[in-house]
Amino acid sequence: MKQSAIIVIIAAVAALLPLMTGENPYVLGVMISVLMMAALSSAWNILGGYAGQYSFGHAAYFGAGAYTTMILISTFNVNPLVSMAAGIIIACIIALITGSIVFRLRGHYFGLASIAVAEIVRLSVLNVDFSGGAQGILLSDLSLWGLDLNSKNPFYYGMLIVLVVTLGITLYLRRSKTGFYLQAIREDQDAAASLGINLSFYKNKALLISAALTSVLGSLYALYIRFIDTSAVLDLRLSIEIILTAIIGGVGTLWGPVLGAVLLVPLAEMLRSNVIGETLVKHGIVSETSGLGLFLKDNLAHAHVLVYGIITVLCILFLPKGILGLFRRTK
Amino acid sequence: MFFLQSLLSGILTGGVYALAGIGMSLVFGVMNISNFAHGDLMMLGMYLAYFAFTLLHIDPYLSLLLIIPTAFLFGFIIEKLFIHRIINHPHQNQILLTIGLGLIMSNSALLAFTSDPKILTTTYSSSAFHFFGGISLSVPLLLSFVITCGIIGVLFFFLSKSTTGLALWATSQNREAAQLMGINVAKMSAIAFGLGTALAATAGALIAPTYYIHPMAGHTFLLKAFTICVLGGLGSVIGAGVGGVIIGVVESMASTYLSSDWKDVVVFIIFLAVLLLRPQGLFGKKGEQ
Repeated sequence: MKQSAIIVIIAAVAALLPLMTGENPYVLGVMISVLMMAALSSAWNILGGYAGQYSFGHAAYFGAGAYTTMILISTFNVNPLVSMAAGIIIACIIALITGSIVFRLRGHYFGLASIAVAEIVRLSVLNVDFSGGAQGILLSDLSLWGLDLNSKNPFYYGMLIVLVVTLGITLYLRRSKTGFYLQAIREDQDAAASLGINLSFYKNKALLISAALTSVLGSLYALYIRFIDTSAVLDLRLSIEIILTAIIGGVGTLWGPVLGAVLLVPLAEMLRSNVIGETLVKHGIVSETSGLGLFLKDNLAHAHVLVYGIITVLCILFLPKGILGLFRRTK
Repeated sequence: MFFLQSLLSGILTGGVYALAGIGMSLVFGVMNISNFAHGDLMMLGMYLAYFAFTLLHIDPYLSLLLIIPTAFLFGFIIEKLFIHRIINHPHQNQILLTIGLGLIMSNSALLAFTSDPKILTTTYSSSAFHFFGGISLSVPLLLSFVITCGIIGVLFFFLSKSTTGLALWATSQNREAAQLMGINVAKMSAIAFGLGTALAATAGALIAPTYYIHPMAGHTFLLKAFTICVLGGLGSVIGAGVGGVIIGVVESMASTYLSSDWKDVVVFIIFLAVLLLRPQGLFGKKGEQ
């Protein structure tokens, strides 16, 4: 019961946060990104962390949700919630097809095949007519039952709800028969199979849960930003960011992905909006007119992926079990 | 005639793909690592050829004499600094580490060279040989193919005749046994990675005159190189050679008869089909999947 109590407390605190930060849209935006990445990474963790199946193609499910929602709303003016449900169905269909192909494979081959499926989805969306192709889809005003969806608050709570649900499912799975089966599969597939565990059934089950949650987040993201294209929602880089967040926090732990998102997303945002460069200049550490100052000012905003790369390398070399894994070892 | 034309240009492009595929397969065979930075190493090769041409005025094909040793050294050092620490780690950590290294390379290139695509234009860039029946073959592609064949020949000679080459083969067949026979497997890994890097950079330099050069170019080639390796059987050098030519022809045929937008999709479908129907590849050992 302790873990579920912690989830409730943290969710309650998170629910009150927007009241404290006031109406600062920038801070709220960053917090929405944190919640989204925490939820995405937690959803990936069900498959990657507990079942040990490192999917490198989760962007496909995120994109499935985002594109289904946007296409249904922009062409048929469907209720956003209905479009979200449709997104789940599409994501689950893609997941079932993917699962039937990739779960026969192991090790290197599994990772490669999951990338290939996601790339096929990305290129197909890019090349068909009804998806807006390379231009993407733009949505104008949006509302649901009198709720103004042009503001950020509904999405903050939307993302928070999905995160809490994902953590709840993870917690439930961890204690259920399915959860033990998944962990047995992670530790030794052949041993698990010899004990009578239906490998492909349980792997597909984990994938479906993970894909459905990821697709809901994709739909929410699309409604929140109201513009999507393949490089924003279907790119391999998104899949990698999701994994990286889990790795840094601790793969296969309940709170690892959340911790990873709390650390990484604000860092990426600060680099992107160049807060670090400006702070260095403001405090006189680097002179604004010096060569280094100009370089930082011009380029640091583009460097956030570079920083991600450096963090990945350092993390795999020195902290392969993540931050929470470090605590677990010393206990 | 269309058929013959696209078959021939497919084979020529496929030769360069084969070079990239062989580099990746060599690394996989000797070290059992999927190198996700391979595409970005190709991208660095493209930039090396570009700068050798624009700054030092060296012909891109001649600059290979500089690029090959530089890239070999670069790969050797990368292996010693990073890869050899994770050689016994789980696959997913190896994949993530090489992805991280790739991100560092591509985004450093983005910072240093900006995202504007560069074009390497030589005097013979747009010239072509014309044959009977209206078939034409571009001069840079033909030159790349001839050089590729030469390099593959030298590589085979090295792998099958020299002591180091035989030690590499032995390490790829059985790491422990090779170590017991007194082969320095750590050194072999570094050499294999150096060779893989050199081959990737060479492939990059060879396509530089016919391609847009930009920091994110590695992405497409990475997935292509994997397809080639899986098709030929991960770890099989001959397989990667044949796989490269097959993929080149498939791509060329798909652009001619389908549409160039869908050619990558066709390549990935072949990739999945091979994984499902013949996961050991055309030339691979059975029971490796």
